Amino acid sequence: MARKKRKPGRRRSNGRRKARRFNIPWIKVALAAATLMAGYVAFLDFQVYRQFEGKRWSLPARVYARPLELYTGRRLAPAQFADELKALGYRFVGRPRRPGEVARNGSRFHLISRPFRFWDGQEPSHDLVVKFSAWGVERLRTGDDGRDVALARLDPMEIGSIHTARQEDRILLQLAEVPPLLVKALIAVEDRNFYNHHGVSPRAIARAMWANLRAGGVVQGGSTLTQQLVKNFFLTSQRSLWRKFNEAVMSLLLELRYDKDEILEAYINEIYLAQDGQRAIHGFGLGSRFYFQRPVGELTTAQLALLVGMVKGPSYYNPRRHPERALQRRNLVLRIMREQGIISRAQEQQARHEGLGLVGSVEGTSKTFPAFLDLVRRQLRRDYRESDLTSEGLKIFTTLDPQLQWALQKSLGDRIRAFSRTQPDLQGAALVTSAASGEVLALAGGREAGFAGFNRALDARRQVGSLIKPAVYLTALEQPHRYTLASLIDDGPLEIESGGELWQPENYDHQFHGRVLLYQGLAHSYNVASARLGLELGVEQVIRTLRRLGVSRPLRPYPSLFLGAAELSPLEVTQFYQTFASGGFHTPLRSIRAVLDADGQPLQRYPLTVQRVIEPAPALLITRALQLVVEEGTARSLASRFTADAGLAGKTGTTDDLRDSWYAGFDGERLAVVWLGRDDNQPMGLSGASGALQVWAALFRRTGVSALVPAAPETIEWHAVDRAGGGLADAGCGNTVQLPFVTGSVLPGPAACAGPGGWIRRLLR
Amino acid sequence: MRNLFVPLLLLSLAACGSAPKRYSPPVVDQSGAPPVTDALPQGEPLGQTAPAPRPAAGGSAVVALLDQAQARMRAGDPDAAAAVLERALRIEPRNARLWSQLAWVRLRQGLPAQAEQTALKSNALARADYRLQAANWRIIAKARWAQNDADRAVAAERRARDFEERGLREPARVQ
Repeated sequence: MARKKRKPGRRRSNGRRKARRFNIPWIKVALAAATLMAGYVAFLDFQVYRQFEGKRWSLPARVYARPLELYTGRRLAPAQFADELKALGYRFVGRPRRPGEVARNGSRFHLISRPFRFWDGQEPSHDLVVKFSAWGVERLRTGDDGRDVALARLDPMEIGSIHTARQEDRILLQLAEVPPLLVKALIAVEDRNFYNHHGVSPRAIARAMWANLRAGGVVQGGSTLTQQLVKNFFLTSQRSLWRKFNEAVMSLLLELRYDKDEILEAYINEIYLAQDGQRAIHGFGLGSRFYFQRPVGELTTAQLALLVGMVKGPSYYNPRRHPERALQRRNLVLRIMREQGIISRAQEQQARHEGLGLVGSVEGTSKTFPAFLDLVRRQLRRDYRESDLTSEGLKIFTTLDPQLQWALQKSLGDRIRAFSRTQPDLQGAALVTSAASGEVLALAGGREAGFAGFNRALDARRQVGSLIKPAVYLTALEQPHRYTLASLIDDGPLEIESGGELWQPENYDHQFHGRVLLYQGLAHSYNVASARLGLELGVEQVIRTLRRLGVSRPLRPYPSLFLGAAELSPLEVTQFYQTFASGGFHTPLRSIRAVLDADGQPLQRYPLTVQRVIEPAPALLITRALQLVVEEGTARSLASRFTADAGLAGKTGTTDDLRDSWYAGFDGERLAVVWLGRDDNQPMGLSGASGALQVWAALFRRTGVSALVPAAPETIEWHAVDRAGGGLADAGCGNTVQLPFVTGSVLPGPAACAGPGGWIRRLLR
Repeated sequence: MRNLFVPLLLLSLAACGSAPKRYSPPVVDQSGAPPVTDALPQGEPLGQTAPAPRPAAGGSAVVALLDQAQARMRAGDPDAAAAVLERALRIEPRNARLWSQLAWVRLRQGLPAQAEQTALKSNALARADYRLQAANWRIIAKARWAQNDADRAVAAERRARDFEERGLREPARVQ
């Protein structure tokens, strides 16, 4: 990393030869002392060398959200785009000139994106004009010559780092990346003689004393940058003469071995600038991100001056806590810069009028997602040692979609707040995934999104209730010679003996509904009909189906399983429903796309894998049944809120005494699972439809839906069926439903309303 | 294998220029109404206004990524090609041709089991595109040979020939 300048020590061996000629006792003592001292200096030298040559800093793994892809036809609202750019620290200006700047004119954005190295290669900086229409990106062109651009990727939002308690965190900079203005300001303020001294500067000490006398307080320190670096780098903060001596010797040694630029670069990366909870913010690279949310190369003169000013006392001049003090310090730095001829008087005046320019958290667009990071960490721990994660500077690219995450947090938070008027202890959790790829796009572990606590999405295991029923109905529909969506099943009173006890399932409305169509048993979530169907199929058979669908937890083989006597976490439910949402393909849920090492080399990819676990025909039948849950069943309140051709599918779940409220639903592209309940498992008054479903609806209204149009295999034929009696309908029938049938399965007979004279029979009835 | 990759790619390019064909189950009377559920910006009421017709989700973006994937394959880097195709699938997750391309790449990556499953996924989305289904069955046959599953490989070859014949009877589905 660093080049050796020259070997110290020649002078020491000369001294030894001289000493041998004079055999006087006091010289012997001096010689012994000198030898000891030389040994000690060699020891210090070794320390300096080892620390500087080896890896100097252990770097926490950095975690990124998915990058925003821009292309014509992308669904995105201008306001969402603006939010994302703000969160990425883009500066809104009149005319963009540098990466990280954007000009907005209504629905037209002109920006210069930042270059970034991804797992699949380098994304260069783009000069882009993005034009939005009502539905999304209408046109994407280059800003300079107006050529159409097919696709561009923004730099990804950093959403966290993986560090140990009280660990230092930093973003390493090379000197070439540091704005010259910052270097000049730093030297002017901290060590004006930096390029001329040998590590310790008596002149600097004298000048600092003089400056401090003149200013009537401490405005300059006497330590050189080298001494400050040594102090931070090798020594404890204990104040003593011995430490001062060590500091001076090591500073001299450092200067002997390394050149000024190397020392400066180390200083820029080492300097302590802030405390962020358990994490210590070191170096101007991370300091810039921490306070201004943008790379150091994009800072204004005023912002650079603030960072330089904070070196003197990061907590005393903390601009978030003491803005007045920080402003005065910054303006002093600006004055010194002007006095030293680094900036002009006009530049100083302009910079003085700037605000501190700190980023707070923008309402609703916070960048801390502790619950999602929790999932990422758990997936990483399967493949990496903890020490590698906290020290090797890995880059972790995740699947998090900040737009969806913000929308989810807001939808969940708003609805729970509304319900809290009657249920103050209500909690909730939710996940959103991509239906095709199993990527986890958003995750909420509780009602307070920014709060790292009990992660209900991963760790709350709750009864799933009726959410389990699609597994029962799928088991039936996979036997097309026995069952179709129009088969009649019995929802009359049922008593069976299970485990020595009499079991009498009841419906939610405490009524029995007689003979119903098979799909209606699911759509209306009839317990008795579902239990009877499950008994016909056998509990072992249903458990085998659940295993195929991705439920791996041990399940009790009792009939109560048909009604959801199984405890799963929202994450496990999501994996289960993922199989339905992807049309019968099991797709492991993933929160990580790739991991790069500190040099940007791919270490590991987490590829997309699929496995077909439901044949195409039954996959279509169960999807249609889940669509009918929304069209006419327990989730029909959705039907009025979304257009009919959205084709939404889903299932409600409610447990005894209203302890758990579930909804799992999907459109053509995304699956979302929502759970509401209390941590102490007490009743909270909400069913799946009145609770979780409302959160789901709020989320999808906020983010928009894409039509679910399931692919029908060739072995499927469609028929209109009479809703009331289940027979095949014709034009004479009024109340019909279109159902798919596997070719060759036993079709129902003609409906009472169908055939010649059907309408007369209807009249007579 | 590479010989087949190029014509497949050309086919994909031809098909990707327009919106994926909407399949309409006979559920509700659609009477040619534009898809009004897609592409709604945040906070706007749904279904109350019909937005302007929307172009294919990511037509030219997907074409550009297919070019990239092809270049990576030519460079002998199927892992990189797979990463590019996965990126394309995030833009158009229901594009059967992309899944088919990925299935090919999985074969080249030495992952026959995944190649077979990915080709099945493509078939599930291919609707009445017989040529694409034929290509997918060829991939499945190769994948099964690679897994020493001769009987099922021969069966897959038979399916491929069936679809090839049907594809010849049908006009090319380039629309």
